[in-house]
Amino acid sequence: MSTLQIIDLRASVETKEGRKQILNGVNLTIESGQTHAIMGPNGSGKSTLAYTLAGHPKYQVDGGQVLIDGENLLEMTADERAKAGLFLAMQYPVEVPGVSMTNFLRTAVTAVQGEAPSIRTWTKELSEAMKRLRMDPKFAQRSVNDGFSGGEKKRAEVLQLELLKPKFAILDETDSGLDVDALRIVSEGVNRAKENTGLGIMMVTHYTRILKYIKPDVVHVFAHGQVVETGGPDLADRLEEEGYDKYLPEGASESALA
Amino acid sequence: MTDTTAQENSAARIAEPSLPAADPKDPYAMPALMPSSADRAVRSFDVSDHTVPTRKQEDFRYTPVERIAEFFEPFDASGATEVSVEPLSGDDLPDGVEISAVDKGDAPMGTVGLPADRIEAVEWNAVDDALLVRLHGDVSTPVLVSVHGVDDRLDALHLIIAADEGAHAAVVIDHTGTARLDECVEIIAGKNSRLSVTSLQQWDAGSKHVGGHRITVGEGAELRHNVVTLGGDIVRLRIDQDFAGPQAKSDMLGIYFVEPGQHLEHRTMIVHNQPQCTSRVIYKGALSGKGAHSAWVGNALILPDAPGTDSYELNRNLLLTRGAIADSEPNLEIENGNIVGAGHASSVGRFDDEQLFYLQSRGIPENVARRLVVHGFFSELVEQIGLPQIASALMASLDARLEGNAEAIKAADLKLVSQTEGESYADDPDAAAHGTESANEQSRQTEEN
Repeated sequence: MSTLQIIDLRASVETKEGRKQILNGVNLTIESGQTHAIMGPNGSGKSTLAYTLAGHPKYQVDGGQVLIDGENLLEMTADERAKAGLFLAMQYPVEVPGVSMTNFLRTAVTAVQGEAPSIRTWTKELSEAMKRLRMDPKFAQRSVNDGFSGGEKKRAEVLQLELLKPKFAILDETDSGLDVDALRIVSEGVNRAKENTGLGIMMVTHYTRILKYIKPDVVHVFAHGQVVETGGPDLADRLEEEGYDKYLPEGASESALA
Repeated sequence: MTDTTAQENSAARIAEPSLPAADPKDPYAMPALMPSSADRAVRSFDVSDHTVPTRKQEDFRYTPVERIAEFFEPFDASGATEVSVEPLSGDDLPDGVEISAVDKGDAPMGTVGLPADRIEAVEWNAVDDALLVRLHGDVSTPVLVSVHGVDDRLDALHLIIAADEGAHAAVVIDHTGTARLDECVEIIAGKNSRLSVTSLQQWDAGSKHVGGHRITVGEGAELRHNVVTLGGDIVRLRIDQDFAGPQAKSDMLGIYFVEPGQHLEHRTMIVHNQPQCTSRVIYKGALSGKGAHSAWVGNALILPDAPGTDSYELNRNLLLTRGAIADSEPNLEIENGNIVGAGHASSVGRFDDEQLFYLQSRGIPENVARRLVVHGFFSELVEQIGLPQIASALMASLDARLEGNAEAIKAADLKLVSQTEGESYADDPDAAAHGTESANEQSRQTEEN
């Protein structure tokens, strides 16, 4: 059992208009095997939370703590955080031309596990994982995310999730740009990882549709860089009906329906 | 013809009152009415016909001319540079390779074009003869020409690589050691030949290498021309190529890695003077550290008598750190509208922080992530060199530079040379102990370090 604790996390970003505070004291605790949905209107800071946890250099931490089993993630580089058991499935995975998926995946797994997996078990594990995600075997020879369709990119993210076996995964808008079939395949992959490794999940999403495939235990509403309300799965149903209006400034309106 | 009369002539042509009417069915067939750059360019063996380079001249605008001024006036060549020829693997030169010395004035020395700048004319002035590598038939093993500099006295060197009609061969010229060298390589790809020429510049710090390659590609011939420049304070190579017959193909590829204080410059000039020829120029470079400077200028000139030309040139630069400067300039001069294609692309980009973060977020440490990205940048090109003996060692050399570890660089470069001795160059520490002089030289230096 592991615990991811976010305590009073504050972070800002440099903009043309100067430094802008985005996270205003986030508090959240996720246990292994739990799925938390972070839902909120556009611009509420959901993605900033995801990237700040993963250690993106663009975001500056101004206060607070993030602990995995007591270890402070905020003192670690991005690769050290991955080794500590954190994984971020990105909304827009980055293309790395000339680096093959196989080479990349093997390098990553070797780094996270601390030793290279034996060729035989590795090849088998990779091809089986790809098969389950309905990925063409030729995929492994292509450059990382280079020329991938939106759906292919998301499958590749989940492939990494399954191979790297983190303690906690942050899924940033994983449902965006997916058709119904791809959404189902990707969701199955996430559920499989959870079943196999007891993964704890923090699912960042604007819309409710992915929650039909990946069932949340806890739903948080995120607004103005804070968790403003926490509830059970029924909170998502309410958001679907009412939208985010009551969390938005006067006059604005936004739906939680895809 | 002096410059002035050339200008007067072209002015007269432009002022011609009755312009010939274009054929409406073939509107692009008519030659252009503009003077082409080829009309203006000085080509001469005589040093005094060429002006002393300054940065105000188009051809030298990116060159720190003051650092290579010693090559602008005639000098007595030291003759100290060691040149040896051997097979890239095995003991004996394969069948179909003939090595000889050619006196200046005797063909084929000086038959491929004329010096295009003062540096090339000074080289011609300084040498008495040339080393000729003549290739015929199917040459089974690549031929290695080792050029090893022993000191910093000024020297000049003239090499000729001539593939006879129908020949199929590969030649690697490996430059190592310390030198201040003005070199000319004449390359003749005979009719229907398939010739690969690779020039490696792995000079020690303090070295200067200027000059160029003058190349002609015969009817139906295929030339692969590779340039890999990793070492030397200043390397400035000018590569002039034209065609001797139709339906020929020229593939040029370049790789460079520039470190602080280095100036590495490559200028490719392709002249399409024959119908239905294809040319591809692809150069890629990475730059690291303050004062690292690269320049690439790619010219493609398509003359009126070269219909059906297909040409493309590309240069990509990856700036790994702040303070490095890459100049990149593709030029196209098209005087014939009846062509298949003429394209160019050029870019200078900073190391992508998003790529770095993505890889790091998967647990890959920063130095490994950087290496992966740079590998990715070069890998396709390294494969295209088409010499497996060179490819992996070259990647190791690039890696070592990326790590910035002087000893690792030395060891990796040594491998690039030493692996030429045998089929297998895996992790054999003795590999350097037998074979080329240059390899021995370098291994000694490594031990001293």
